[in-house]
Amino acid sequence: MTAVEPSVVPATPAARRGYGRWVAIAVLVVLAAAPLFLAPFATSTLSRVLVFALFAVSLDLLVGVTGLPSLGHAAYFGSGAYAAGWTSIHVTAEAPVPLLVGAGVGALAAASTGWITARSAGVFFLMLTLAIGELVGQVANTWESVTGGANGLTGVPAVRIAGQPLANAGFTHWYVLLVAALGFALVWTVARSPFGDALRGIRDNEPRMRALGYSTSLYKYAVFVLAGGVAGMAGSLLVAQQRLVSTADVGFLISSLMLLAVVIGGAGSLWGACLGAALVVVVRDALGPTLDGHGPLVLGIVFVAVVYLLPRGAAGLLGRTR
Amino acid sequence: MEHPALTRRRLLALFGAAATLPVLSACGSSVGGGGSAPAAGGGGGTIKVGLVVPQSGVYASLGEDMTRGWELWLESNGGRFGDYTVETVAVDEGETPQTGVPAVQRVIQQDDVDVVVGLVNSATALGVKDLLTESRKLLVVTNAGAEGLTGAAATPYIWRTSFTNGQVAAAMGTHLAETGFAEGVFLIAPDYAAGTEVIENFRAAYTAGGGTIAGEAKPPFGTTSDYQPFLSTIQASGARATFCFFSGAEAITFVQQYAQFGLAQSIPLYGSGFLTEGSVLPQQGQAALGVQTTLHYTDQLDNPANTAFVEAYTAAYGESPSTFSVQTWDAANVLNRALATATALDGDSLAAALGGIGAVDDSPRGTWEFDGQTPRQNMYLRSVQDANGTLVNAVVEDLGPQSQPG
Amino acid sequence: MLVSVLNGFAIGFLLFILAVGLSLVFGMMDVLNLAHGALFLGGAYLGAVLGGSWGGFLGALGLAALGGLAGGVLLSLMTEPLRRRSHLDQALLTLGVALIAAELLIITFGDDPLSAAAPPGLDGSVTVLGAVYPTYRLLIIVIGAVLALAVYLVVDRTRVGALVRATVDDREMVSTLGIDNRLVKGAVFAVGSVLATVAGVLGGPIYGARPGLDATVLILALVVVVIGGLGSVRGALVGALVIGQIDTVGRVLLPDFASFVLFGALALVLVVRPQGLFGTRAVAR
Repeated sequence: MTAVEPSVVPATPAARRGYGRWVAIAVLVVLAAAPLFLAPFATSTLSRVLVFALFAVSLDLLVGVTGLPSLGHAAYFGSGAYAAGWTSIHVTAEAPVPLLVGAGVGALAAASTGWITARSAGVFFLMLTLAIGELVGQVANTWESVTGGANGLTGVPAVRIAGQPLANAGFTHWYVLLVAALGFALVWTVARSPFGDALRGIRDNEPRMRALGYSTSLYKYAVFVLAGGVAGMAGSLLVAQQRLVSTADVGFLISSLMLLAVVIGGAGSLWGACLGAALVVVVRDALGPTLDGHGPLVLGIVFVAVVYLLPRGAAGLLGRTR
Repeated sequence: MEHPALTRRRLLALFGAAATLPVLSACGSSVGGGGSAPAAGGGGGTIKVGLVVPQSGVYASLGEDMTRGWELWLESNGGRFGDYTVETVAVDEGETPQTGVPAVQRVIQQDDVDVVVGLVNSATALGVKDLLTESRKLLVVTNAGAEGLTGAAATPYIWRTSFTNGQVAAAMGTHLAETGFAEGVFLIAPDYAAGTEVIENFRAAYTAGGGTIAGEAKPPFGTTSDYQPFLSTIQASGARATFCFFSGAEAITFVQQYAQFGLAQSIPLYGSGFLTEGSVLPQQGQAALGVQTTLHYTDQLDNPANTAFVEAYTAAYGESPSTFSVQTWDAANVLNRALATATALDGDSLAAALGGIGAVDDSPRGTWEFDGQTPRQNMYLRSVQDANGTLVNAVVEDLGPQSQPG
Repeated sequence: MLVSVLNGFAIGFLLFILAVGLSLVFGMMDVLNLAHGALFLGGAYLGAVLGGSWGGFLGALGLAALGGLAGGVLLSLMTEPLRRRSHLDQALLTLGVALIAAELLIITFGDDPLSAAAPPGLDGSVTVLGAVYPTYRLLIIVIGAVLALAVYLVVDRTRVGALVRATVDDREMVSTLGIDNRLVKGAVFAVGSVLATVAGVLGGPIYGARPGLDATVLILALVVVVIGGLGSVRGALVGALVIGQIDTVGRVLLPDFASFVLFGALALVLVVRPQGLFGTRAVAR
């Protein structure tokens, strides 16, 4: 792909590349060591950050890399969570079965709805995904025999590895960390591949890509399914971590929170999406109770501030308009 | 932002190394085995209670009533359960399990409470079941009405001082079958878990009493604001009466539109008590007049305990207590009774002690007892009436004691 | 059944008043105003608090119109610095504004759901088509029909309307004619927002006012404009009336699928006619 300059991962000098490698290793080591020093509650908060970081990364693949802003991505996250939870209860909780089922169902849900969204772009895409998200939320609420409806899907057993359940927050954290890292690596690899270059080409100038002979709808459909699959993976981690799924996990608020996370981090930067997710989760879980329930107010203010103050972060979302 | 270090081999190596570490450092981390052993109780000391009720979101007013019920009991009893000084840690449950479950996790794991009290949302209560079982802590549910919390699927650690969705509905089912509405009641409830539980348990009791269902509708939950299509269906069904379950905003719009579309005159409206309970009743206004519901409490109950309770509550907070206040007041009440005999503060000892408290004879709702960890209590048939400009749920009839059905 | 059709018109006209503003703002300014639902909720709360008498009802309408005007101008000014940025930046900004506005409304009016009374004389019911029907909803049909006609005439038959249509078709062209784009934008935003807040007051006696209503009506309005076609007044009207019928008659005919008829219709329209019934630009290409 010489026609399209890859802009998400700028070519960096070898020295910086080495530096980035050590930072990555250091972050992983710190995350892996955390349960040894943190109390269970802090550890589970950290695990939750990782779950939502993977979710944000999958969304960033759509928003930042391909320029498709989704307000309904929680639909696939939730689908994966329900599927993984249901499998753990009724079939087996043995890793990696719930994980694979979650990813598979997330991808399947994206595949069965993506044909509508893949033909659209920009704000239209935003509207359609919003509507689809609402619809999936409605299904989750209504299909009680599978999802537990408003009571949620509860009594999910802990993930088992080689027959041994992950009995405490620390072991669960390591499982979440491992899968999240693999998921991140997957998205990162895709974003750097020629396929990722084509996606960025679509983001920057779709008509030109079409003129160059790319079937842009097909590319958009493929990345939509892939992002749905990774979101489903994150959903299966959510179940592994909180051991229940509720209709709120499929909802509009989660979708918009994650879109905010991606925007804060600077769309297109996968690391940024992780940091954004961490910020959002910590604000919601740690500051939430002290805000007298007015978390959405803070969220809204952050939204507005980010749009004005971090134009670089937000600018990559759609590239140039039209 | 590259990190070529993320090869699978390195990752696996890293995790291999990490996984061996917990052997070296066992305690003071998230990786130790089991929970910390609770301090032995014995005579005197402090009992730490996590009060997890909504301080925000659509259930905030319920949470406020619950907190008041809890505080009122403690204030009138010197802030003590028997020999124990009560230390309350109040945490916001929020609206959904996304906030509620971490809140319970927090009080158990971080604040290290002995007992958790509260929970409005059934999904949250169901979602913390495993957490309680694993940490062997007692939870006294003071609202959430899901059947699965107690009864057949119960864990020994969850007890309830409120009600079950089916219990309230079953009482009405039996009543309507017995009082001339045996041919044709229309059932309507939002399309979600609690609505289904109410409808199914009403149906079971009603048909067991010889009733026949005229029809059924399930409006979408949380997004329905116009009930006209369903009201037309009710009229066309030829039903003699309607039984419904709605709460919050849906209760307001349903009751109002039921009157506006002229059904109130021809097809009397019956419901589960939450239809006309608490803050929704003044909003429903005149449209609610004559609506009959079943519930285990109304501030209009005529018994000495309730008279004293309503008086003290009104003096302290300037408004009448609701069912939610009583449910939480009773949580303090039963914990106090249990601690008279409990040998320790862990979940097993407290659960055993709660099982032995027998009849609770000083509750504002009337005498009740635990049956399968949830109250067997009298159900009251109530009718909305205008008492000097204020709408109240006046007692029509005591329908007698009712257990959790099934 | 006939009364359901009638009620479908009442709901449909209410949706039209709500959605036409959203459609115009999007069609002319390319700004997807996600704060549209919050504006509606603001009007609904005003109606709930002040309603009950004619004075209160009209006062609420007046205040709501003023509030909508101020809100529209504010939104227009807020999106102005983002003019050269992407549509998404503007949509995100309005999403942020929507979250802030909804929370401020809850802080002001409380968490408890409120009901809004229809003005005296209209709060009763009359017998229409052999069924009892709330009088107030008949008024909604009348107001909606009049407003629809008025908006249609203004857009289709006046110079201002010609300008509006020209702006929808080609914004750059209009600005070369020497007409201040920002003024047009501010005016359209203001009109759209006033329609939203007024719809809130008018819808209060039907929908009440509660936290979360903003999201419910926003999604309804989005469905209406997607079905009708973006930027088209006629599309918004037809879309709203179609949704009104689907939401009433559809639910009577298909009670078991009450939760899904709305989105089913949306999917159907998108498959058959991706640009919406009257749209010129495809939602899906």
